[in-house]
Amino acid sequence: MNLVDLPPELATRSNPLIEAVRAIAQGPLAQQAYAIDRGAYPENVLKQLAEVGAMSAHLPQADGSPGDYGLAIAAMAEASRVCGATGFMMWCQGVAGLYMQASGNPALAGERLARHVRGESLGGTGLSNPMKSFAQIETLLLKATPVEGGYLINGALPWVSNLAPNHYFGTVAAVSTPDESASREIMFMLRCDAPGVTLKACPEFAGMEGTGTFSVQCKDLFVGADDLVADPAKPLIARIRGGFVLLQCGMAAGIIQGAIDSMWAVEGQLGHVNQYLEDRPADLQAEFDALLARIMKLAETPCDTTTDYFLNVLDARCHCGELSLRAANSALMHQGARGYLMQSDVQRRVREAQFVAIVTPAIKHLRKEMARLSVQEMPA
Amino acid sequence: MSVATPSASLAPAEAAWQLYICHACGYIYNEQEGDPDSGLLAGTRFADIPDDWACPLCGVTKSDFTLYVAPDLSALKTRASGLASTHLTAPRSAPGIVVVGAGKAGWQLVQNLRSQLPDTPVTLVTACAGDVYDKPLLSVAMARQIQPQALVKETGREAAARWQVRLLAHTQALHICPESRTLRTTQGPLRYADLVLAHGAEAALLAPLRADLCWRINHLQAYQRFQAALGTTPRHVAIVGAGLIGSELANDLALGGHRVTLIDTQARPLARWPADQAGEPLLAAWSGLPIHFMGAVQLQALLREGEQYRLHTSDGQTVLADQVIAATGLVTPTRLARSADLIWQNGIAVDAQTLQTSVPHIYALGDCISVNGQSSRFIEPILRQAQTLTAALVRTDQRQAQMRNSAALPCAQPYAVRDAVVRVKTTSLPLSLH
Repeated sequence: MNLVDLPPELATRSNPLIEAVRAIAQGPLAQQAYAIDRGAYPENVLKQLAEVGAMSAHLPQADGSPGDYGLAIAAMAEASRVCGATGFMMWCQGVAGLYMQASGNPALAGERLARHVRGESLGGTGLSNPMKSFAQIETLLLKATPVEGGYLINGALPWVSNLAPNHYFGTVAAVSTPDESASREIMFMLRCDAPGVTLKACPEFAGMEGTGTFSVQCKDLFVGADDLVADPAKPLIARIRGGFVLLQCGMAAGIIQGAIDSMWAVEGQLGHVNQYLEDRPADLQAEFDALLARIMKLAETPCDTTTDYFLNVLDARCHCGELSLRAANSALMHQGARGYLMQSDVQRRVREAQFVAIVTPAIKHLRKEMARLSVQEMPA
Repeated sequence: MSVATPSASLAPAEAAWQLYICHACGYIYNEQEGDPDSGLLAGTRFADIPDDWACPLCGVTKSDFTLYVAPDLSALKTRASGLASTHLTAPRSAPGIVVVGAGKAGWQLVQNLRSQLPDTPVTLVTACAGDVYDKPLLSVAMARQIQPQALVKETGREAAARWQVRLLAHTQALHICPESRTLRTTQGPLRYADLVLAHGAEAALLAPLRADLCWRINHLQAYQRFQAALGTTPRHVAIVGAGLIGSELANDLALGGHRVTLIDTQARPLARWPADQAGEPLLAAWSGLPIHFMGAVQLQALLREGEQYRLHTSDGQTVLADQVIAATGLVTPTRLARSADLIWQNGIAVDAQTLQTSVPHIYALGDCISVNGQSSRFIEPILRQAQTLTAALVRTDQRQAQMRNSAALPCAQPYAVRDAVVRVKTTSLPLSLH
C-alpha cells in the first residue's frame, strides 16, 4: 500500500525522532499489530520506542530544553497510525513519566525517572477513576490510612494498562480522616510487585488485548515517602490535567490518519462506487487537519490551568473520539468485504476507534465535564 | 503492427514486478512478495502460477485476476477536490440554520425566519431552558415580589413547538469549526448551513468581585437563585455599580422591602448620561426608601464573613451585607468568536447590510455584536437586526435553491445604529436618558 503524505501539521514535525518512530512503526510494529490486538504485549517495541525518546518528548530534556507536547503527540500519532494499542501504551508510559517528573520527589524524579525514560522500566496510569471522581462521576476506589512513615492502601481498580508484575503506575487514594471537611487525596506510584498487590486478568476485550491491562487489588499496601507523587494530590493534578488529556489526542490522530490512508488505498479501484458514501477521505482529511492544527496550538501551552484552556482541551479530545469513530467506520465502508476480514487493519481500526471513544475520558464523560465547567458560577 | 512492443522484448527476470488484482475480493498479488502460504515463493511471476492456485482470501482462481496498476494518489486527490462542489459531496440532509442563544434576539429571529422560510430546519441551542420572558421585568419582579416562574410567558418547549424549531436546551455551545461548518456542543456536533450567534453579553466581573461571592442578575435562572437566597425576610443587599441596571435593582429591591447599599466610583448614580443630570433628582426621589448611596468610592475587597459578605471601600468604609450584586457593566463572551477567528471590535464585528461576521455563513445579532465598533445592549435594535438578518438569510437560501430571479429576492434592509433613548424603570422617578 502506498501511504499518503502526512498532513501538513504532521509533516512539519518531520525530525529525527519522528523518522525513528516511523522506522519502528512501519517495521517491527507493523509485523506485530494483529498479534498485539489479539493479546501479545509488545515489550520490545515499547522499549525501542522509549530508547529513541518517543515517550518522553513532552518532559524536560537532558540538555535542559523544555518538553515539547506537540512532538510527543506527533510521535504517538506515527505509531498509532500502524497500531492504536501501541499508541495507547505510549500514552500510558508518557503520563507515568509526567507524574514522576512533576512530583519533584527526588526518589521518583531522579534515577527512577531516568530508567523510565530510557525504557528500562515500564509503567502506566490508574487515573481513570480519580479523574471521574474529580468530575463527580464516580467515587474514589482506593483508600489510604495514615500510618507511621506513610500510608496503607486498600481497595481495587478495575483496569489499568501497560502493566506486568515488575511494572508500576501512578494513581490516587482518598485519605481516611475522622474530619470530613479536611478530606484530601494522595497521589503515588504503585509498584505492582509490592507486598499486598495482586494483578488479576481482565475479561476478554473486543480488541487491543495486548495492552497489559489488569485489575489491581491492594490489601494493606504500604506507600512511603519514596513513592509519593503529591500530598495533597489535587494541586498537582490541576497542573497536569491539560497535558494529560491532550496527549491522548496523539493516539486518536494516528488512528484517524490510518483510516483515511486505507480509504485512499482503494480509491483507484473502488472510487466509482465509493463516491456514493458520506465521509469521503478528502472531507475527513480537511476536518482532521483543522482539528490537528487546534491540538498543536493547544500543545504549546500544556501548563495553562485556566478553565477556558481546559474546556478547549476537552473539546479537542472529544472531537478526536467522534472523528475516530466516523473515520474508522467510513474506512470499513470504503474497503467493503476486505475490511471485514478479521486480520484486516481496517477492521482492527474500528475497534481501536471505539476504544478512543470509550476510554477515560469517554465522549460522554467529556461532554458532562464540559457542561459542568461551562455553567455560570453563582454564590452558594 | 509487426513491431514488437518494448515490454515484450525484455526478459522476464529483468521486467518490473507487477501487481495483479482479484476481481472478487480486491486481494492484490504482488509478484515480488509471492504467496508463501500457498507455496508461491517471493519473485514468482503471475504467468508462472499454476492454474489451480486459488486466491488466498476468497478462493477464486487465477483467471479472475487482472493486471493492476496502482493509481497515482495525487491525481486521485486532485480529481476528488474538483468534485467537491458537486452534489456527490454535498451534505445528504439539509443542516439548516443553527441559532445560539434563546433570549430576545434568538426567539425574535426564529419568529421572523418562520414567516419567510417556513420549511428550513432551524435548531436553537441554549444554555438555559429556552423559556420566553421579558428580561427588563426581572428587576420589576423584585419590587412586586413576583415568583420567577410567573415571568415566563411561554416555556421553551412550547415556543419550539409553535415555531417548529428543534430546541437544544441546557446545551453549551463550545466551539465553531468553520471549515466543516460544525458547531460543537455538549450534546454533540451540529452541522449548519448558516450559523447565527445570539448569545448576548454577561455581567462583567472586575476584581475584587468574584463569581462565587456576588450575583449577576442577567437571566431568569440567576434571578430564581437570587430570590431563593434572599428568602422571605427583609435583607441587606449591596449593589456594586449605579448605572442603569444597578439603579433599577436598587429601586426595586427597596420597594420589595429590602435595605440597599448602592456603591459606585462616580459621585452620582447614572453618571454615564451626564447631559441628563439625573443622579441628583433620583437620589432625592429615593429619600423615602431604604437606599444608601456610597458615591465616589472604589470597592477594594469583598470577603465572605460567616453567612454574610464584608465589603471594604477605598475610603476605609466597610459594609456588611447579606447578598452582593455586581452591576458593573456587560461584556460579550469571546469563546465562540475566538474559536472561529471572527473579527472582534468591542464585540463580534458584523456587516450592517447583512449582519454577517467576518467569516462566511456565520452571522450574529443582539447584545454580542458591534457595528463599526459600537455595541448596543437594548431591546429596540434587536427587532430591526432580526429583520435585516432574516432578509440576508432568505437571500442565501434562495441562492442555494438556485432561484436566480432577482426580483423575487427581498430587499436588503441595512441595520442602522441609532442613538437610543433609554427608559429607566426607576419607579420612584421614571427617567428617559439620551
